[in-house]
Amino acid sequence: MGIQVFFASLLCRFLKAVARVAHRGGTAMPGRYALKLCPDLLKVLARDVHVVAITGTNGKTTSSRMVEEAFEEAGLDYISNRSGANLISGITTEFVMNATLAGRPKKHYAVIECDEAAARKVFGQLRPEVVLVTNLFRDQLDRYGEVTHTLGNIREGLKGTPESILCLNADCSLTSSLALELPNPCVYYGVNGTAVSSREKPSISDATHCIRCKTEYEYDYMTYAHLGGYRCPQCGYRRPDADVAVTAVVRQTADSSVVDMDIFGEKRTVTVNLPAVYNIYNAAGAITAARKMGIPLDTAVSALGRFNCGFGRMEKFDLGAGGTRMMLVKNPAGCNQVISFLREIGEDFTLVVCLNDRSADGTDISWIWDAEFEHLEEIRDRIRNVYVSGTRAGDMQLRMKYAGIDPEKIRLETDYARLVDAMAAQEVPVFIMPTYTAMLDLREHLIRRCGGADFWE
Amino acid sequence: MELNICYLYPDVLNLYGDGGNIICLQRRLQWRGITSNVTRAGIGDRVSLADYDLMFIGGGQDFEQEVLLEDLHRGKASEILAAVEDGKTFLTICGGYQMMGNYYQTHEGVRCDFIGAVDLYTVGSPTRMIGNYKYRCTADNGGSLVVGFENHSGKTYLGDGISPLGTVEAGYGNNGEDGTEGVRYHNVFGTYSHGPVLPKNPEFCDYILQTALERRYGSAQLEPLGDREEAYAHDIMAKRIGAK
Repeated sequence: MGIQVFFASLLCRFLKAVARVAHRGGTAMPGRYALKLCPDLLKVLARDVHVVAITGTNGKTTSSRMVEEAFEEAGLDYISNRSGANLISGITTEFVMNATLAGRPKKHYAVIECDEAAARKVFGQLRPEVVLVTNLFRDQLDRYGEVTHTLGNIREGLKGTPESILCLNADCSLTSSLALELPNPCVYYGVNGTAVSSREKPSISDATHCIRCKTEYEYDYMTYAHLGGYRCPQCGYRRPDADVAVTAVVRQTADSSVVDMDIFGEKRTVTVNLPAVYNIYNAAGAITAARKMGIPLDTAVSALGRFNCGFGRMEKFDLGAGGTRMMLVKNPAGCNQVISFLREIGEDFTLVVCLNDRSADGTDISWIWDAEFEHLEEIRDRIRNVYVSGTRAGDMQLRMKYAGIDPEKIRLETDYARLVDAMAAQEVPVFIMPTYTAMLDLREHLIRRCGGADFWE
Repeated sequence: MELNICYLYPDVLNLYGDGGNIICLQRRLQWRGITSNVTRAGIGDRVSLADYDLMFIGGGQDFEQEVLLEDLHRGKASEILAAVEDGKTFLTICGGYQMMGNYYQTHEGVRCDFIGAVDLYTVGSPTRMIGNYKYRCTADNGGSLVVGFENHSGKTYLGDGISPLGTVEAGYGNNGEDGTEGVRYHNVFGTYSHGPVLPKNPEFCDYILQTALERRYGSAQLEPLGDREEAYAHDIMAKRIGAK
């Protein structure tokens, strides 16, 4: 075993160095070959590391960064897969780089974001101390299949690590159902009904019927998508009480939110240094996981007020007179959240939507018709221009036209250099909604223009 | 003029953006000054299809299928059968298309009875037929070239004398074997195409609207629309699919 670990680690480090010289990100490829040489490599290298793993459809990266910030503030020396390589290959690369060739870890803590489809393979090897599951929404159906299938993948993965403490989103009936069939200790976080002012009911829900008995759920309140205070009138399955609960929203601005939270019985007013409701969920999840990893309460709370996510998640660029923000979108639930954020900022803006259909984005782009772009019509006067771009710019242009945006305002620009020029010329804030690979490409152009770090650095 | 549209099972059959077809139908009527009224009829809702001109059924997740079948057999199935024979227009997609047929037999051999409004059946296969594809509608379905995205493991076979909607030019279509795609029976249009199918294929959309308006008013003339953006998105995909 020792010799296998040695050679696999050596190979991995060699490939990583080559990739680096070749100026390629190279975060997944080295791990992939190393695992071929030693299939248990991750298990061996993670054995003496305290790991918190984060999975779920939306909010993985943001939640991971929040937990990282808490680790940072607590002075813990940790590793993480910041590059976004969140399959078993990329995660393995990170652990190899953290270990000596004999397999001993250099740093003893890790914050690991894990793709929900990869969870099945990863969790049993990683044996995390804490697993945070953010939520489950329909996402890239061509890749993940139905949302219940994704839930099954996570459940299978968790079966390999029965001692992990699960931090589950209480408001997501799919996520919290993980507790039904697993022996793991579970804690819950969520937004209480007291914090929710009435909002319109979403037109599409990914979980209308009880996961246990298929009776239609009743709701005391909804926060967004299918999240909220659900209960099944037939079998009694219901939203569990939240151990970490958002009890009131004090203030929401274009840059941040201030909320009251009850955190395992202790009350705090928490500033979240990111706007929008979904980031309030990410914050509550991150605090829950950080506490379960032993981070002191006030350290975890102050980290949220300080942290900066970057990497396409509300990432700011100094471009154009009003600045530019990038907000990654991957699926209808996340996209609807960005749209409702845009509805709430009270100023004129220019919107840029970059739609790609590469395999990491999902080759089926039909989800843009599930997202409620029609709501943009309500704020049509505040939208100066809409630029559409990406490999499926034509589809996005069509979506905007049918959403009721004035076709005169819609411009199609598939050349990123020219697109960045157009953004730089805007007099109002620019908001970019890119899919994953569009974010990577466009970000390179923006960084070249405005400065910043490449993702593998 | 007006058109009454019934969106069947928007609560459970709403995968893959198929609801975008409703947005498309409504806009293309609105741009021509024709009123459209859309009623959403989900699980548990009673509905009389005699009051509607155009019915839409999309694709869904397997998870809710039992709930759906129970509800169908509590009245909607017979409503659908009667409306089909009455010449009402239906657009059915993927799971909704399969549901109009006689049955679905899983790969393991378990048979699930469907509505039986159209003589066709579907058999589950272990491999998924997935990807962008295109087909040419037959002449009596308008003859347009349709681009879309298919994602199904069921292989559909049409009964004797039942006509397909079109002929596959690239991709799988009904079963990946006989080159057929979809179905046209009376005024029922069935297709595997997500995308959603209508926005990028305005000729096909207008053909369906025309069919529904003619059934209601005897004759109908749809004014042509600009369709610049539609043609752009359609042509790019038509060129890309099968080009490899």
